Amino acid sequence: MFERFTSVGLEIAEAHCDAPCGVYDPSQARVEAESVLQLTKKITDLKMPDGGDQAASTAYQNTLTRFIAIKEERAELAKHHLLVLWTDYFKPQHLEKYPELHDLFWKSAKLCSSVKQEVSLEHAQELMDNVKRVHEIFWETKGKDVPWYTAS
Amino acid sequence: MELPKINWKQRLLLFVGRRRLLKVEGDSMYPTLETGDAVLIDPRAFIATGDIVVADHPYKQSIKIIKRVESIDPGGRYILKGDNPDGSTDSRTYGTIAKGDIRGKVVCRVR
Repeated sequence: MFERFTSVGLEIAEAHCDAPCGVYDPSQARVEAESVLQLTKKITDLKMPDGGDQAASTAYQNTLTRFIAIKEERAELAKHHLLVLWTDYFKPQHLEKYPELHDLFWKSAKLCSSVKQEVSLEHAQELMDNVKRVHEIFWETKGKDVPWYTAS
Repeated sequence: MELPKINWKQRLLLFVGRRRLLKVEGDSMYPTLETGDAVLIDPRAFIATGDIVVADHPYKQSIKIIKRVESIDPGGRYILKGDNPDGSTDSRTYGTIAKGDIRGKVVCRVR
């Protein structure tokens, strides 16, 4: 009863830090990791044209090169967004509650490198699974129930 | 380090005007206090090292800060620090706080 009156019109005691707190959301990493997974699938599915047809060969190589270039770029972005969460958002008290945190981010960052080097559906999926775990931990620390979703 | 929960004595003191009720915003006192917590302060309490206090911000008018007294310097000025130093702006940034700027000692949490 008493507690109910306490939230309205109260004077504020600020426990802030003066630099504005960043807005963080693991969905940025999810979009990039998901793109890498989709591009890996596209590269795996891309059919090489049967010999001799110059135009088809050029188109094939152009498409393949674009897929590879975008996969490279998106994997780097996924790594960037993961590292920002790791180094800027997560705090020592989160690590106490989630001791897996460092290992999770370290392995995820390494996966971002391997999905660039390889065309590996397995590693691309593993990266997505790790990002999902980051999502779960992140929103738990925020006390919000945000369901995991993907765009594709 | 932990703050006691409000009891009937503190409620009575609030009722007779000997305590003030304030709401906490921000995470610099995490895990002791979080955004949305409410606390009672005793404006007349003696302040010692280790106490959580509410003080006027040294540079920003009308803003009150809530921090823990890390130590008191030889000149009697207060060195304040957040319990969550990674997410706190405190005496490390704005220096010491004069005794006259301390508005009270946090005596309990309301929730």
